[in-house]
Amino acid sequence: MMFDFWIILTGTLVAATSGILGCFLVLRKMSLVGDAISHSVLPGIAIAFMVSGSRDSLLMMVGAAVLGLITVFLIQLLQQGGLQSDASIGIVFTALFAIGVILISRNAANIDLDLDCVLFGEIAYVQWDTLIINGYDMGPAAVWFLGITLLIVLAVIGLFYKQFKICAFDPALAAALGIPVALFHYLLMGLVSLSTVASFESVGAILVVGMLIVPAATAYLLTDRLSIMLLYSVLVGALSSAGGYYFAKWLDASIAGSMITAAGLLFLLAFLFSPLHGLVARFSKRRRMKSMTA
Amino acid sequence: MERQKIKKSPLQRFKMTLGVLALIIVAACSKVEGNTVQATRGENQEIIQVVTTTGMIADLAQEIGGTEVQVEALMRPGVDPHLFKASQGDIQKLDHADMVFYGGLHLEGKMTEILEKLERHKPTIPVSKDIDQALLRSGEDINGTQFDPHIWFDVKLWISAAGTVRDALVAYDPAHAELYKQNAEAYIGKLNELDAEIKEKINEIPEAGRVLVTAHDAFGYFGDAYGIKVMGLQGISTAAEYGSKDVSKLRDYLVENKIKAVFVESSVPPKAMEAVIAGAKEKGHSVIIGGELYSDSMGEPGSGADTYITMVRHNVNTIVEALK
Repeated sequence: MMFDFWIILTGTLVAATSGILGCFLVLRKMSLVGDAISHSVLPGIAIAFMVSGSRDSLLMMVGAAVLGLITVFLIQLLQQGGLQSDASIGIVFTALFAIGVILISRNAANIDLDLDCVLFGEIAYVQWDTLIINGYDMGPAAVWFLGITLLIVLAVIGLFYKQFKICAFDPALAAALGIPVALFHYLLMGLVSLSTVASFESVGAILVVGMLIVPAATAYLLTDRLSIMLLYSVLVGALSSAGGYYFAKWLDASIAGSMITAAGLLFLLAFLFSPLHGLVARFSKRRRMKSMTA
Repeated sequence: MERQKIKKSPLQRFKMTLGVLALIIVAACSKVEGNTVQATRGENQEIIQVVTTTGMIADLAQEIGGTEVQVEALMRPGVDPHLFKASQGDIQKLDHADMVFYGGLHLEGKMTEILEKLERHKPTIPVSKDIDQALLRSGEDINGTQFDPHIWFDVKLWISAAGTVRDALVAYDPAHAELYKQNAEAYIGKLNELDAEIKEKINEIPEAGRVLVTAHDAFGYFGDAYGIKVMGLQGISTAAEYGSKDVSKLRDYLVENKIKAVFVESSVPPKAMEAVIAGAKEKGHSVIIGGELYSDSMGEPGSGADTYITMVRHNVNTIVEALK
């Protein structure tokens, strides 16, 4: 059926974009930045509503995108100021979220203004939200939107692959080589912010946050090379979205939830059986070492 | 050589991905163009498959469509429409449906946008669409664009919704227009009786005691239509957080006005209300929970509140029993 295809394709596009960016975040120990953005955009939509007085999706997205950029900028700033990455993420997103709660309770208490209602989309509905140009039905808007996001991410990462790679593994070396490390950190975080906000609107928060972390973490266990890690991350993401969809069909359950569950299961497999870092491999290695010393 | 090969391979891979992606998008596009919307019932169509969002709307569609329709509601009893999340099965139901009825006025939260877009594919009708805007309630600090979606608690407004459903069915299936008109007329008759019955019952409550305190502000239309002051703890949506100031304000109001009972709702957890009751008790005024009201959804089948009419009657009886 047509909608099977569209939902899996949308899931795969999100998985690919998030999977690529997620690898760099995992290496920099900043995986939770996606979750942080999913909360910290709240003041953005509150301000967008106060300015416009409507819940128009486009305006909400602009507000959210601005706040997303502010979030990653602040996180990066605090981190460069010497704070641990987990603490900087925690401080920025709770503070911004709290401001959002205050803004809404002061200005829009009587109306339905929460992230679930106005910003977060739902992957289940992508096939009906079609893009129409000159009377031609061009297929789901989300596919176009996320496809373009993926292309932008691919283009930027592809162009500066070497720089991003060195910055992720060894910022000190990168600085010594004359690479503007801070600039590339901001560039990466900017990409993360834009792609997550764009994906939130189309498919909802849980899918984006999950896809940003889980496939990249799975790939991290499977290889020690960044290029292979990127590939595995995208593959694991695509497999999770297709597998998760049929899982949801079988259970008659939430599609986004099932996709992330599938990703979680794949992670568990990698965690147990990865030939490099898996539990089983490490265990047998240790036993071999023991028998050698004994 | 070896080094260069390693450096190049990711870029090549990106290019390949790019190519595949472009192919997929192009291939998928051409497929969609053939779709057309079937706006009327086909000759061989056995029965009209109707999908609605809430149970109340399903009940309405079943009453008016009668034997010609098979109605299914997406939201089960006890589900809050503002926060509804569709499962894979729900998508299939929407995809298979011939017609879709929903509440509109942003009752379905973010899903509203999708329902508006679904209209390009099949008849998708908000049952609130024919209601005069002057009769709709709007929040105070809202620029006139946001309305309270809980229209079913004013039976007169629900009669307008019945007319909307009738007209939509007549337009989709003109061959059975007479049947739909008859069904609608009979049902609207029953609704008018219900309206009169509510007014009579509410009169049993002493005038000073006509205050309905609930956990979320779903009963605004009910209050306006039947002369009851409605006090709520939350905003229009069940998702809005209530502040501690709201709790103490409501508590003081209960104590001052000696309100006998407050009510909890089937789709909202009663925790907030319990805080208010405990607060009032500390101040020496005892308030009881007058009972559970159905707000955003009807009762389970067999609960005695599983149709629109029995649900409204349950609410009215509960309120009158506790307050008179």
